[in-house]
Amino acid sequence: MSILPFPSFLDDVKEKGFKKAVFEGIDDSVERLTAGLNVQDLREAFRGETASRRPNPRLTPHADGFWLHMRPSYFNRDVTGMYPSFRLGWLSSYFVFFETITGILLMLWYTPSPEIAYGDMLTILSNVPLGQLMRDMHRLGAEFMVAVVAMHMMRTWITGSYKKPRQFTWFTGLLLLVITGFLSFSGYLLPWDQLSLWAVTIGASMAEATPVVGDQVNLLLRGAPELGANGLLRFYLLHVLLLPALLFVFFGVHYYKVVIHGHSLPPQKENIGEDTAKRVPLDKRVYFIPDMLTYEMFWLGATTFIITVLCIWFYHAPLENHADPQVTPLGTTAPWYFLWIQGALKLGDKFIWGVAFPTVALGGLALLPYLDVTPSRRYAHRRVMLTIASLLISVTTILSYMGLAKFAVATSAETEIVHELTFEPAHSKVGIGRTIPFDQMISGAYTTAQIHGHEGMSANEFIAAFNAETQANGQFAQMISELQSQYVSTNQAPQRFRSIPADEAPKLMQVMEEFAHLLDAEPVELPNVWGALVITDNQAGLKRLDWIVSWDGVLIEGGQVQVDEAGEPMIVMATEDVAMLDEDGNPMMNEDGEPMMEAVPKLDADGNPTPARRIYSDHLFIHEASAYFAPGG
Amino acid sequence: MGRLLFIRSIEGRVLAGITMFVGMMILVGWVAINEEARMQAFVRQHTGRAIERGAELYASLCSECHGEEGYGSKDRAPGLNNPHLFGYDPVGAQTAAITNANRALVRLNKDIETLLTELTNAQNPPTDERQNAILAEIDDLEAQLEEQHALIDQAVAERETKLKSLSAAVKRGLYPLWDTIEDIPSTAENEVETFFFINGTRLTQVGWAGDLQGYVVTTLIHGRPGSANVWLSSEGMAPWSQLAGAQLRQDQIEDLAAYVLNWDKGNAWTDDDLIAVQQFGKPLADGSLPREPGPPPAGDNVNAILTFWAENEIVGSEATGGVLYSEDFGCTDCHGKGSAPDTVGTFERALNERLALPQFAGYTVEQYLVESITRPGDFIVDGFSSGLMPANFGTRMTHQQLADIVAYLMTQ
Repeated sequence: MSILPFPSFLDDVKEKGFKKAVFEGIDDSVERLTAGLNVQDLREAFRGETASRRPNPRLTPHADGFWLHMRPSYFNRDVTGMYPSFRLGWLSSYFVFFETITGILLMLWYTPSPEIAYGDMLTILSNVPLGQLMRDMHRLGAEFMVAVVAMHMMRTWITGSYKKPRQFTWFTGLLLLVITGFLSFSGYLLPWDQLSLWAVTIGASMAEATPVVGDQVNLLLRGAPELGANGLLRFYLLHVLLLPALLFVFFGVHYYKVVIHGHSLPPQKENIGEDTAKRVPLDKRVYFIPDMLTYEMFWLGATTFIITVLCIWFYHAPLENHADPQVTPLGTTAPWYFLWIQGALKLGDKFIWGVAFPTVALGGLALLPYLDVTPSRRYAHRRVMLTIASLLISVTTILSYMGLAKFAVATSAETEIVHELTFEPAHSKVGIGRTIPFDQMISGAYTTAQIHGHEGMSANEFIAAFNAETQANGQFAQMISELQSQYVSTNQAPQRFRSIPADEAPKLMQVMEEFAHLLDAEPVELPNVWGALVITDNQAGLKRLDWIVSWDGVLIEGGQVQVDEAGEPMIVMATEDVAMLDEDGNPMMNEDGEPMMEAVPKLDADGNPTPARRIYSDHLFIHEASAYFAPGG
Repeated sequence: MGRLLFIRSIEGRVLAGITMFVGMMILVGWVAINEEARMQAFVRQHTGRAIERGAELYASLCSECHGEEGYGSKDRAPGLNNPHLFGYDPVGAQTAAITNANRALVRLNKDIETLLTELTNAQNPPTDERQNAILAEIDDLEAQLEEQHALIDQAVAERETKLKSLSAAVKRGLYPLWDTIEDIPSTAENEVETFFFINGTRLTQVGWAGDLQGYVVTTLIHGRPGSANVWLSSEGMAPWSQLAGAQLRQDQIEDLAAYVLNWDKGNAWTDDDLIAVQQFGKPLADGSLPREPGPPPAGDNVNAILTFWAENEIVGSEATGGVLYSEDFGCTDCHGKGSAPDTVGTFERALNERLALPQFAGYTVEQYLVESITRPGDFIVDGFSSGLMPANFGTRMTHQQLADIVAYLMTQ
């Protein structure tokens, strides 16, 4: 007879007493939650004792529960060590979930629209507590994920784990690698800054080279001929919907296949041509509960801790200026994991190297298990495949290096040097010219000529001589007119150079030394060069820095400086127009009665021809509060 | 490393795992409590960089008219590095003193009137004692009146001195129309005060209801309608925002505004800063700058223009054209600076290169030049961008001016 009109806990209390009823109730709930382990089972498991109940309750969660139904109930001891897996597969899975969680948090503050996206980035950085940390983690996790998945593939190759019966597992893994790459790549665009716009523009333009469908694919991807509102929305949807959906599907297939076939053993642990992964001897079994479970909980904690530490002290996701389709930044590259394609593109035809080559490479990888059908997984028997693997790694590395902007992209030396000094913060680096502390930006005109030494003279004497020289030969005037064409007001244009105040402004001195050093490295392209830095006050707390390079023009053909037999660059001489004179010394007239002019070499006071002086300048503004930190600082 | 990651005992792993989680939570908590300061620092840094970007935009887009240092240029564009724009009123103290004194005068006069009414009340005449008291009080009030008048005189004198010392600025447009107000008879004193009240700062002058930031941003976005009528020799303040069909994105507008507002010196503005300004803003809305109807503009129908010239015997002057070209219409701001074809060599290029093109078959150089000026969008020379040259020169130039410029270009 129940106490209440229906059977209840109170009946248990009446029957067994309060304490017993409660304990049994808890035991019952725990067993339901864990799908088979009661309190005593758990206690035994975590104490490392053997299970006292039979049949072994630690296998029940795998059989009855949802969460563990796809995890093996035990592993072979030989695959639980660092070797052979290096935990790369586990890490890849970890990053899938890590990226999902941090990504969803970032989605709360993000709108995929060119008008708003960049502002959202600033909001995440300036008005969302932990927003910066979350963004850094998501970005760093993405970079790690690409690297880890790629290494996972190489590990599988090296241990020969793609061989029968795991051919299809390898294939789905390759799909996951490609999806991972595109996931990372599609996320690249979302901040809508210069870095993302141009990296993605370069990446997406590779698709253009595909014959017949290239333009259509590109149009479909970008939503318009240029990346804009539609392109951003499409990349966003790819990033948060399509690609993750594909990733989860193939992740499921991949892991299912891994479990079905078992984790492949280290090659030397089984006989040639045998696959014993599913036949684990009793003494080699490492049970998921409790051993692997506690291992994984520990790794989860450790990995997350390490990423947290990295994102607090060592890594911040880059954010450059707002995307501007009109301004192509110097030295644009694709994301690092696509650099190898960019490098390959420099080898020649866009279609062959940009489309055919990657397709053949990936196709070759996909077919690998079907091409390499030798039964042995032992290293000694697989010299050819291991050689190809190391070749693949070397070629990818070399191609990636070739993909860098500094490789075989013709930019004139002066542009390169000034860019080197002044580039905006990107990838934790910043042009040294921006790192001069504000109070060391002392207004005035300084020249690198001073750095080159002033033997026997004080710096001031040297500068006085340099002033006299450049004013006499017109180089100073050329600099001033260059400055004025760049909207430096006549009032503010400097009257003369002054010596660098090394005591008050050591960093300024250091920057000028670096400037001189960079100029010195280009004796052929920039003969008789001097550089100048002109610092002017612009507003309260705002300075303007003009970087000037002045050199003797050299003959350049096909992007190459022409040199004479002695290896000296061929200097272009200045000319001027003078009236042509006839034999009697009278000006010659053309048919319209105008004096006829001819270009003659311009001579200096001693009657020697003078070189045509070239000048280049670029400028930047620095605000007191901008805090451009030293590289790595 | 291997040992570390493969702790052999379960409790060791549990302990290490818990330690890692707790460590991570402590780190995140530590970051969280510092977030406020970090976010503030980020805002400061971002504002600094916005100003830098704004400076870059200003230098390339605005400095041509508003001056590299923001002092404006005569009859072309007002200064932005300009105390008047930021609410510095050089005679504000005097205006306020006069307003206060005027209010006191009204109050005192009213008090005196009340006392006089009481004094002359026939039905209920005051007692002798009260009469004396009233008279004494009136004397006192009249003395106060005198005092207030003296204050006004003093403030007016001070203002006059101030205006004299600022005569350079006044000449450049601080207090526009001051010369028409100056001679107003003293009876209209209020009008003078109203004038100074309204013209004290740029925002009151243009009757702007919002704040300065809004004023600057709005002007950048939409330009200043009507300003082409005021800035006689330019096209006026054009819209710059993509919202208004021009080139700048909203974030660039905000960067530019941040730069312009960074000129603000707050309480530290001085009269010297006023004097440094080359040109002050002009009033737009009240129509107080009547433009005499001039000769009709040339328009943009090339054949009609050439016919008109022939019929009316209009002949261009090369010398006048040169001045119009480089100064009044500002052609040299772009031509000769890379963004547009050079002025030098115009004739030869037109004759030898342009007229050789099939679409200009049968053109004369003169015809080509007239078309290039009045309809710049019809043909863009390779290597230059379209849409850069204003398309309204035809409506801004008289026939004579157009003919002068063409004559000048024929010699180039």
